[in-house]
Amino acid sequence: MIGGRLMLKFLVAVDGSAPSNRAVDQLIGHLTLLKDPAEIHLLNVQHPIPYGSRVSAVVGHDKIAQFHREEGMAALKTAMQKLDAAKIGYHHHIGVGAEAEVICQYVKEKGCDQIFLGTRGLGTVSNLVLGSVASKVIHLSQVPVLLVK
Amino acid sequence: MEFLNELQSAAFWVGLWQIILINIVLSGDNAVVIALAARSLPPRQQKAAVFWGAGAAVVMRIVLTIFAVALLKYPYLKLIGAALLLWIAVKLLLPEDGDDGGVESSDNLWAAIKTILIADLVMSLDNVIAVAAAARGSLTLLILGLAISIPIVIVGATMLMKVMDRFPIIITIGAALLGWVAGDMAATDPVVKDWVDANAAWLHWGAPAAGAIIVVAAGKWLAARAEAGRKAVVDLGESSETGAPR
Repeated sequence: MIGGRLMLKFLVAVDGSAPSNRAVDQLIGHLTLLKDPAEIHLLNVQHPIPYGSRVSAVVGHDKIAQFHREEGMAALKTAMQKLDAAKIGYHHHIGVGAEAEVICQYVKEKGCDQIFLGTRGLGTVSNLVLGSVASKVIHLSQVPVLLVK
Repeated sequence: MEFLNELQSAAFWVGLWQIILINIVLSGDNAVVIALAARSLPPRQQKAAVFWGAGAAVVMRIVLTIFAVALLKYPYLKLIGAALLLWIAVKLLLPEDGDDGGVESSDNLWAAIKTILIADLVMSLDNVIAVAAAARGSLTLLILGLAISIPIVIVGATMLMKVMDRFPIIITIGAALLGWVAGDMAATDPVVKDWVDANAAWLHWGAPAAGAIIVVAAGKWLAARAEAGRKAVVDLGESSETGAPR
């Protein structure tokens, strides 16, 4: 019990990559050890489309939202199937913006207690060990972050 | 022979590089629109929409370029063009504002083509003005610019979208370049040219530099303001599917 609440809340950042799907597995493993049910939030973050203001002036906001939604749902698919198969209830969300910032905004808004995050370990030298999103989330987050390779 | 002489001047090559970059940046939005508008169609219609959309963009560019060459000789038109370019350049840097565009998003072929044609018209016009400005009256450059922009629009959609997503700095550089050529164009309008040459030759680099700086500063500032003004986090997940109020 944290802060007087009865239910733990977890947020899993999902981008459809293998590490992010392993983060979901990890969460499922943790949940079987908890004696109470927890609240699960799956979040996929989409990059804003380039030329946002010029493109939305022509195709309309709806079309862009639809694009993000379709791409987001595709990224969330495996994670949702895993949770469905494990018979675990969850909420899914698709945000738009810079990954780390949006993840931390959601954590704050939903009042989550912990973040589950797949780390890619690719990228430039400074990100040799951690993905750049992961290192930024660690930097910004007020709650514990669990990284899964 | 004039053409061969032109090839040897540094100004020609600078102009050519400017035109290539402008084309990449200002054809990118056109390509993104075509890709988005065609997306929700069945695959065969998707190809048709992309084909006709890109074809129309090519035709519009040729027609508009001919007009632009003829028009830019007249006084004040370069000044107007420069102002327009500055505005276009700042707009490039702004995020999506969340307001709905005029075009309804329905999922049939004609709606997609209509969207694409409107985008073609607006974005080809922008492109032609910018290329005309960078060509600085050289017909060779203008035609080359046109020739370069066409394959970019036709092939580019998905690839350009990925590149711009990965390296948004390209758009910023492109916007700065647009500001630069806008300043250059303003300083060479027939109305002001003689005065600038006689009294303020430094404006030939001062105005372009100012244009580039104004565009990037204004664009970044407005983008930051738009970002800060965003109310809540965006959620396109379940809450938006059920239409439940958040």
